[in-house]
Amino acid sequence: MLTPHSESDAAYVIRNAAAQGTKLAICGGNTRSGFGNITSAEETLSSRGLAGIVDYERAEMVMTAKAGTPVAEIEAALDENRQMMAFEPMDHRGIMGTHGASFGEPTIGGVFAANASGPRRLVAGAARDSLLGIRFINGQGQAIRAGGRVMKNVTGLDLTKLLAGSHGTLGFLTEVTFRVLPVPQTVETVVVSGLDDAAAAKAMAAAMALPVEVSGAAHLPASVKGRFLNGALPAKADGAEATVLRLEGLAASVAVRAEKLAAVMEAFGPVSRLGSEESRTLWREIRDVHPYADGTQKPLWRVSVAPSVGHQLVAALRLEAGVDAFYDWQGGLVWMRMEADPEAELLRRYIRALGGGHATLMRAFDAVRAGTPAFEPLPDAVAALSARVKQKLDPAGIFSPAKMG
Amino acid sequence: MSEAIRFLPPRQTVLSRRAAIVADLADLLPPECLVHEERELVPFETDAFISYRRLPLAVALPRTTAQVAAVMKYCHRCGIPVVPRGAGTSLSGGAIPQEDAIVLGLSKMSRILEVDYANRTATVQAGVTNLSISETVGIDGFFYAPDPSSQLACTIGGNIGMNSGGAHCLKYGVTTNNLLGVKMVLVDGTVIELGGKHLDAAGYDLLGLVCGSEGQLGIVTEATVRLIAKPEGARPVLFGFETSEEAGACVADIIGSGIIPVAIEFMDKPAIEICEAFAQAGYPLDVGALLIVEVEGSDAEMDAMLASIVEIARRHGVKTVRECQSATEAALIWKGRKSAFGATGRIADYICMDGTVPLGKLPYVLNKTSEIVERFGLRVANVFHAGDGNMHPLILFNANDPADAAKAEEAGNEILKLCVDAGGCLTGEHGVGIEKRDLMRHQYSDADLAQQMAVRSAFDEGWILNPSKVFPLEGRE
Amino acid sequence: MQTSFTPAQLADPHVAESEKILRRCVHCGFCTATCPTYVTLGNELDSPRGRIYLIKDMLENGRPADEEVVTHIDRCLSCLACVTTCPSGVDYMHLVDHARIHIENTYRRPLADRLIRNLLAAVLPYPARFRTALGFARLGRPFAALLKRVSALKPLGAMLDLAPKSAARFSDAAKPGIRPAGAQKRGRVAILSGCAQPVLDPGINEATLRLLARLGVEVVVPEGEGCCGALVHHMGREEQALDFARRNVDVWTREIEKGGLDAIIITASGCGTTIKDYGHMLRLDPAYAEKAARVSGLAKDITEYLVGLDLPKLEPRRLNVAYHSACSMQHGQKITMAPKNLLKAAGFTVRDPAEGHLCCGSAGTYNILQPEISAQLKARKVKNIEATRPDVIATGNIGCITQIASGTAIPILHTVELLDWAYGGPKPEKLAAK
Repeated sequence: MLTPHSESDAAYVIRNAAAQGTKLAICGGNTRSGFGNITSAEETLSSRGLAGIVDYERAEMVMTAKAGTPVAEIEAALDENRQMMAFEPMDHRGIMGTHGASFGEPTIGGVFAANASGPRRLVAGAARDSLLGIRFINGQGQAIRAGGRVMKNVTGLDLTKLLAGSHGTLGFLTEVTFRVLPVPQTVETVVVSGLDDAAAAKAMAAAMALPVEVSGAAHLPASVKGRFLNGALPAKADGAEATVLRLEGLAASVAVRAEKLAAVMEAFGPVSRLGSEESRTLWREIRDVHPYADGTQKPLWRVSVAPSVGHQLVAALRLEAGVDAFYDWQGGLVWMRMEADPEAELLRRYIRALGGGHATLMRAFDAVRAGTPAFEPLPDAVAALSARVKQKLDPAGIFSPAKMG
Repeated sequence: MSEAIRFLPPRQTVLSRRAAIVADLADLLPPECLVHEERELVPFETDAFISYRRLPLAVALPRTTAQVAAVMKYCHRCGIPVVPRGAGTSLSGGAIPQEDAIVLGLSKMSRILEVDYANRTATVQAGVTNLSISETVGIDGFFYAPDPSSQLACTIGGNIGMNSGGAHCLKYGVTTNNLLGVKMVLVDGTVIELGGKHLDAAGYDLLGLVCGSEGQLGIVTEATVRLIAKPEGARPVLFGFETSEEAGACVADIIGSGIIPVAIEFMDKPAIEICEAFAQAGYPLDVGALLIVEVEGSDAEMDAMLASIVEIARRHGVKTVRECQSATEAALIWKGRKSAFGATGRIADYICMDGTVPLGKLPYVLNKTSEIVERFGLRVANVFHAGDGNMHPLILFNANDPADAAKAEEAGNEILKLCVDAGGCLTGEHGVGIEKRDLMRHQYSDADLAQQMAVRSAFDEGWILNPSKVFPLEGRE
Repeated sequence: MQTSFTPAQLADPHVAESEKILRRCVHCGFCTATCPTYVTLGNELDSPRGRIYLIKDMLENGRPADEEVVTHIDRCLSCLACVTTCPSGVDYMHLVDHARIHIENTYRRPLADRLIRNLLAAVLPYPARFRTALGFARLGRPFAALLKRVSALKPLGAMLDLAPKSAARFSDAAKPGIRPAGAQKRGRVAILSGCAQPVLDPGINEATLRLLARLGVEVVVPEGEGCCGALVHHMGREEQALDFARRNVDVWTREIEKGGLDAIIITASGCGTTIKDYGHMLRLDPAYAEKAARVSGLAKDITEYLVGLDLPKLEPRRLNVAYHSACSMQHGQKITMAPKNLLKAAGFTVRDPAEGHLCCGSAGTYNILQPEISAQLKARKVKNIEATRPDVIATGNIGCITQIASGTAIPILHTVELLDWAYGGPKPEKLAAK
């Protein structure tokens, strides 16, 4: 594994690789290695040698860090100042089984390269929305700066967005600058019990339409509910399912909004509430897809569709395959664990039929992975365009070839 | 008319075929969708950046995506430059044509196609105005968040082109954070869709790349945008300060304290006077600088937030605090703010800068800005989005005096370089356009720019889309 | 924005004024958004900003008007929504007035257009001729559809469509003389009888006279007064318009000098906008400038006058009134709240239709000369009004009344007719069924 310790070293490595046509798998701590198609790289280039917070303007809520900085280090620094990454980056180690000595720490570069976002993405945007600027090495070994460190910046093409979520196939991130936000004083969760998937979708849509600033809306069907909070979600007597709605902010304000939200939600089912501590744990578990951090290799899908159709997709699939699922993002983010076959074609056909979206295979047995495009196949014109874009950043095709299709 | 910024020399091969091109376009578009009489082309020669003007070859005003595709396919085949245009409200000259270009105007595509409350989305044609979305969904308790000051007139297509911001972006983000999908016509006439009602499009974030690409990657014909539930209440409060420095420092402290209001707008004395004369919003005239701070939520929430903000303002010697008492009053306060640029036209011609700086640098940059403008013997009015450091110095000058106009441009350039040097950028929300094109090298290295240009070429190898904009003419691939 | 006129060009006071107006425009484009023709046609050329640019180009180059410029200026309704919207204070009204005069002086219209315009200018401002013409119109109505098939004759077809189905009755309201105050006298005003309104709907001024009398206001209907000149003014026929203006200035000046006037009451806001502009129109005429300014200063819309009289607040009555603000009222005269406040105080429930700033497409002779755009605007307006589910529509301009009435079954009245009824007058006939 190549672990350059400076941007210029990284550039040198990449220039050489480009000259010799050496294919590089790009990673940080490699904890998100489950993403994408199996690649044919000859060498691994990790950013973990580029670590450390470069600048943290607490008052301006902007942080710059080297790409290989462990997420834990960033979170600790933010925590100390009661600030946070509003997009709640998911930790993929649980579902991908990437704990342990052969893996590093999740890095901040990895967060942005995977555009890893959690429940708050619904209202606060994805990782890419918080990313203000980057430095990266392109496929020719040139150091490139894109974006900057101010929130509003429309100077030139937004390469920052392009690199976010590109899984190291367009460039090697060396530094990221991102926006952070104050940690909310209080968190509370309104729990509606006993709703089936369809009713939950309606309840969540109703909640999001209220002026109470719901900052997380998830539905946890019976099959997964027990896996959260060590089974401490409201009792079975109220029903086997839990639809959870998060409120955050000043304590006084959260209390008032929770009252309002609960009053409306009572029309859907029995309502109970969780306090700050339990809420923080619950939403972290939802973020990290706790029920499917099960140590198995059962195929796991992450599906993004319009919120109102998530449950229809699952219902349709269930007629033909063994599916276990729960929902985040008001029902629009569906986590699906397949009993056996990933049923990729079937799933993707249903997604198209329901108005579009995308399914990403997060994990599967190697044999299955080899035969299944991990990322949603793109329409021909978009695929061709994407290939041209990649060619402009990585003309020699050395960065994680085939990973993104 | 200023001449400091050059346009690409017109392609003679295109100019010499003008009549034939017009005849070909007439086959692709109904008569009312094509403008080609020279006199009728004159009103399309510029946008809201009127220092520069060029007559286009013809203007196409298609009604459908298919017509846009047909025009693009034709122009691509014949190598004819195309300049997209929404409502022509660009302050950076993004829609200024060139002699060998077809202006592709989306103003006839102004229908709201679908409003979907369950998924909180609206799907609209690109020529729909920004404000009309909020007006349409407002009665049902929703709104579309990005609110550029020109929102009454500017189109969603133009907003996407420039990744427009606005006063309320402090909390809700700019266009790119509120855009879920587009239908767009590529340079060769291929129609593609990116994103949709779901979050985070598949594959590379081409949607993020297109947003803010100033019409150089394709023509967006439809957009799906995110709707947000309207807050229970919103209350703008006016804070008057003796000096701009005090106001600037107060802004940095408010944000630093962890309170994020929906909007923090700044006006200096000249701007207050201009806006008050137009809107009669009740801005205090006896102060040197004014902040409009808007908070939202329930009454209790707003009270709590305001109490903290007032306390911070007092520490900075605030002179007057006025809470707005009614919705009508609030509307007037915002009307005055949003009309600031236009209202400036009552007293002088102006060019409007758009640099963004880190909040801590606000007082310094404000000071320096005055110095620069004074050195050129001109006047300046400052009215801008202080909460995110997005400055808008309006440099006042006399457009009928060429020397004055040249001085204004020079002063503007110095101010923008100042913003970059202070750790900021050339443009926060108006776009590079033609105005800031030649300053790009001040912000980016040659390699940075070359990379951007290479990616641009992936979409438009022949550089026919809005070719004179964004990237300096020298050193292009 | 930048302008380029020679000193010689600027010696012409009209050009000098236009130059000043143009200098204020910063080309921000806000005006496009509220312009009815831009909203309908989606073409910069049919927006205020586009027209300003066309006019600028024409005037700077000292060019005679041509077909293209005329097409787009003709499509302007003169609704002045752009003036309300414009943050820079561009005086579009006087700029387009100047352009229309320039067109009239330098452009020869096609024969059919000329004939129709001549006909309108020769008939509409004269009540007797207009009344006779309406008689013919009723005979001609069966041919309307036929006429509309020939493009040059479309305006004739539109004209026939708009003519009332039955002859208006004769009324004493326009008969010159003094109507004494019916209660203790608290004011003395003159009232404009006008030209088309007394023929189309004499009930409006009858209601006004009744109401004012009950409120203790003495009203003079002066001898010799006539059309305000707006109709020909908007056709660019400046001399004819100024003749009308001078005649009315003379008439009212006589009244002012004789018995004093608190106001000159106007019940058609289209006329009000023009009369309030007499001071400007006649500013270059030394014999009239001062008198005209005085007349303009006294001109008041009836609702503007009535709010000054502190009418008592009445019990609510169950009648939903959609208030349609005429462009000449809201944009031309900036009267927005007075009519609604009066109606509310009189106990009516007032509804504001969406897109209230958009013109109904009447605009003087616009619905005759530009029937297609006018019809689209009418449909849009009626849809917005009907969406408020009103029992009755109220407005302050005869043009809008005629236009909207031709598109909906909901009764439409002048605001003052509802006020007269609420404050003790007879129930308007159109409301017999309510």
